[in-house]
Amino acid sequence: MVETFQDLYLGFSIALSPQVLVYAFVGCIIGTLVGMMPGLGPLAGISLLLPATFGLNPIIAIVLLSGVYYGAMYGGSTTSILMRIPGEAASVMTCIDGYAMTQNGRAGPALAIAAIGSFIAGSLGVVGLMLLAPTLAAFALRFGPPEYTALLLMGFFILAYMSAGSMPKTLSMAGLGLIFGMVGIDTMTGYTRFSFGVIELGDGIGIVPVAVGLFGISEILLVAGAAEPPKVQRPKLRELIPSREELRLSVGPIARGSLLGFLIGIIPGSAHIISSFVSYGIERRISKHPERFGSGAIEGVAGPESANNSAASGAFVPMMALGIPTSPITAVMIAAVMVHGISPGPLLIQQQPELFWGFVASMYVGNVVLLILNLPMVGLFVNLLRIPYAYLYPCILCFTILGGYSVANSIVDVWIMLGMGVIGYLLRKFGYDLAPIALGLVLAPMLELSVRQSLAMSAGTYAIFVNRPIAAIMLGIGVLIVVLSLKPLISKRKDWRASVGLESEQS
Amino acid sequence: MRLSTTISACVIAFAALTAFAQEPYPTRPVNVVVPFPPGGMADLSARPLAAAMEKIWKQPVPIINRPGAGGAVGMQSVSIAKPDGYTVMVTLVSYNTIPEVDAMFGRAPAYSREQFVPIALIAADPPVLVVHPSLPAKSVKDLVALAKKRPNEIVFSHSGVYGPSHVPMEMFVHAAGIKMRHLPAVGGGPTMALVLGGHAGMWASPPAMAVPHIANTKLRALASWGDKRLASLPDVPTFKEVGYDLEFYVWSGMFAPRGVGTAVVSSLRETVRQAVLSVDFKTSMERIKTPIAYLDALEFQKFLEKDLKMLSSAIRRMGKIEEAK
Amino acid sequence: MQETEQAPEQAWRRLRNDQFSGLLLILFALYLYWENRAYPVGSLAEPGPGYMPLMLAIFLAAMGVLIIIFSGRSRLLEMKWVEAPHAVIVLIACGAAAFALERIGYRLTIIALLIFLLGVLERKRPLPVLIVSISFAMISFYVIGDLLVVPLPRSPWGF
Repeated sequence: MVETFQDLYLGFSIALSPQVLVYAFVGCIIGTLVGMMPGLGPLAGISLLLPATFGLNPIIAIVLLSGVYYGAMYGGSTTSILMRIPGEAASVMTCIDGYAMTQNGRAGPALAIAAIGSFIAGSLGVVGLMLLAPTLAAFALRFGPPEYTALLLMGFFILAYMSAGSMPKTLSMAGLGLIFGMVGIDTMTGYTRFSFGVIELGDGIGIVPVAVGLFGISEILLVAGAAEPPKVQRPKLRELIPSREELRLSVGPIARGSLLGFLIGIIPGSAHIISSFVSYGIERRISKHPERFGSGAIEGVAGPESANNSAASGAFVPMMALGIPTSPITAVMIAAVMVHGISPGPLLIQQQPELFWGFVASMYVGNVVLLILNLPMVGLFVNLLRIPYAYLYPCILCFTILGGYSVANSIVDVWIMLGMGVIGYLLRKFGYDLAPIALGLVLAPMLELSVRQSLAMSAGTYAIFVNRPIAAIMLGIGVLIVVLSLKPLISKRKDWRASVGLESEQS
Repeated sequence: MRLSTTISACVIAFAALTAFAQEPYPTRPVNVVVPFPPGGMADLSARPLAAAMEKIWKQPVPIINRPGAGGAVGMQSVSIAKPDGYTVMVTLVSYNTIPEVDAMFGRAPAYSREQFVPIALIAADPPVLVVHPSLPAKSVKDLVALAKKRPNEIVFSHSGVYGPSHVPMEMFVHAAGIKMRHLPAVGGGPTMALVLGGHAGMWASPPAMAVPHIANTKLRALASWGDKRLASLPDVPTFKEVGYDLEFYVWSGMFAPRGVGTAVVSSLRETVRQAVLSVDFKTSMERIKTPIAYLDALEFQKFLEKDLKMLSSAIRRMGKIEEAK
Repeated sequence: MQETEQAPEQAWRRLRNDQFSGLLLILFALYLYWENRAYPVGSLAEPGPGYMPLMLAIFLAAMGVLIIIFSGRSRLLEMKWVEAPHAVIVLIACGAAAFALERIGYRLTIIALLIFLLGVLERKRPLPVLIVSISFAMISFYVIGDLLVVPLPRSPWGF
């Protein structure tokens, strides 16, 4: 323990040097700006900046990139809250209640809680990373395809609590999302599915263009032509600060979100995306007033935002401790230090402690920087709402086209985005929830792959899912969730969901 | 792998000199398309190369990443680019495999190899066969004996079907006459996690990725696919040493769209040759632990043909995966 | 949760909101089934590339049926489409912009799109429209194209 603190002191002495601090600030600012671009998320942000870091020293490179990473995550939630445009998969859930809060004139508190929640979750995540990285990494490796399948199924069962609509509608939207997720080259066999000869679709449909189209563009289509234009918000300074009640309601979700996010984050793979969905589902389930969700519940912002930030820290555990890039984001981070001849991995902590501890400390510094940068900015961001909608929405559309194109220099993503805008618009007219589509799209490739991988491991026997203890326990919990969600249906005949109005019934 | 001889270098230099007399090239930035995301092997070897070429040409040489569909998206975009020498690409071994796989599935091909002119081979990295320590095989011989005793029980993983870690495994399995099941994953990182966690028994890993884990005894290296031992793993024999005539490289090379003028081609060849020899490039490649393997256009062409012959027979043997069973 | 009565001659008019969307889902599921024929389905022990899409098609169709059955509470298909013409124009403009982007370059496309949306569709005064559209295009190109080095498309005239 003492040793850990000595190492941490070493780390902070590096992270607090003026030069490193400047880069942390620069990274956070660039990240926030990139994240605020609709369609450009953390992955696009750090990929764009990666080449620029090749000329810097490795610690500064990784500080800069992690600043961009955190900044982009926060920037993404800003646009989600203010304009219903998710910058990345993790902010999809923030969109729903965050934007509803904006419409209720509570944009300021939503942004502030998002910043505070991200900060707390990020800090807890760093502590977890620092104390537990080597131990957890070894444990995380025991997560093979069967365990992954069980985890994803648990994420899927959360659907039952996720949306206000009727069950068949929610499930059909999840099914639609899963189908969108089937597009592209099948990993197991190399078949190209549903690509209609478009080579760009070989990699499947990305979550970012879909989320921007479904949530952002559909909103513009619905609102811009409405008979009466949306009223311009004139936020007062007093309304920027969360009320005591809002703070009280946020404590629980932030704490639960942080823990949940970190646990999901350490598992190798891209499962951390589902952490915000799961957190939203849990908060809704345990809330005494689930009907508030969807129409501006602060818990629906606090939980997912915290979960997604601590999942981001958790994802660094396998990266730093094992040197394995298990997700595209960590792959870019590893490349950033590899070009300096450093191979992250089991030997890194012993051979180059200053890099590991410098990184841990600078992550913490990055979180603080982000908080002091963004809390005062809340007032500034909220003023964006003063722009008349007739000016605002054309600019948002241009930003979405720019962002959609920049991610992979591909016009196909822009077309997907516009197409999803139409689909989202029509579905909302018919009273369908859109969030399950996003969850389905995110889950589909991972779920299908891990089921088929498990069967490849077991030569086709399903016993592999119950013979392995971790998988069996998680599946058991999943079944429990389903049973619990069915209970009110049976005992009271009527589900509480039925008494709740459909989300966003604009017609 | 042989490096180019001085004689051929002189010939090129002479050809380049006469070519330079005709028209100036380049007069504006030369875009290098990398059909893979930033941070991958193609990207990491293209960037120092571009930096070195920038110094020689005194013109910017920006890298443009156009990832998608395992490289098909970017390569297709270059195949239809204007052949004026201002768009070239640095790509990986998938250059040879994608058209083969497309043909096997009867898909419209993304591009054909005839649409490109090879400029130079830059790097070639033979994968290394690493096994999880729980597998009771200390050598290739043990492994083959084990697999013969337990056919279809041992599982190997790879980073994508028909990809650069699937093909070499198939070559080995075929040459040894054994049967193993395969467990596909997406990308090198997740594959490594599967093997480190013991969910799969082995895979053909890029050496740079495997070395730290071999040093930490979390993995055991059995053999590599090169024609000589790896500098980073001097104790690990090659497949040739243990009696299998196998050779496979994850190579990266530069291509231009067909139709570029001969003057442009010779300028490119000469510039790449100088860039590869530069000290900056060498240190950069040492850092990412990727061996440089420079071959000039003519030899690169021969290398490509040999590589293609080997890959296409391996892919045809694999067939469509689900029909193979 | 009663079945709704349907007079055959006015079936379309009497369709409920959910009945219509449920029907669309079933049609989509059938289309998916049709498209999926090309991919081998495999078996339960060894699912092929067509397995999960097939399951999803069946699932979607089942959900469509359920939505139709439970559609008693939903409103009749009498939605107001006041914003629809505007939405269609916006979409067509964006589609045209996406089409033009790689042909006439980023800056020209964005200027044209903004002038159309602000000036023609929203009828703002010409001067602010020009200022907003030109400065938006230039600044965003500078930040994304020049500072972040994204190769944004340029027009054949190099602009």
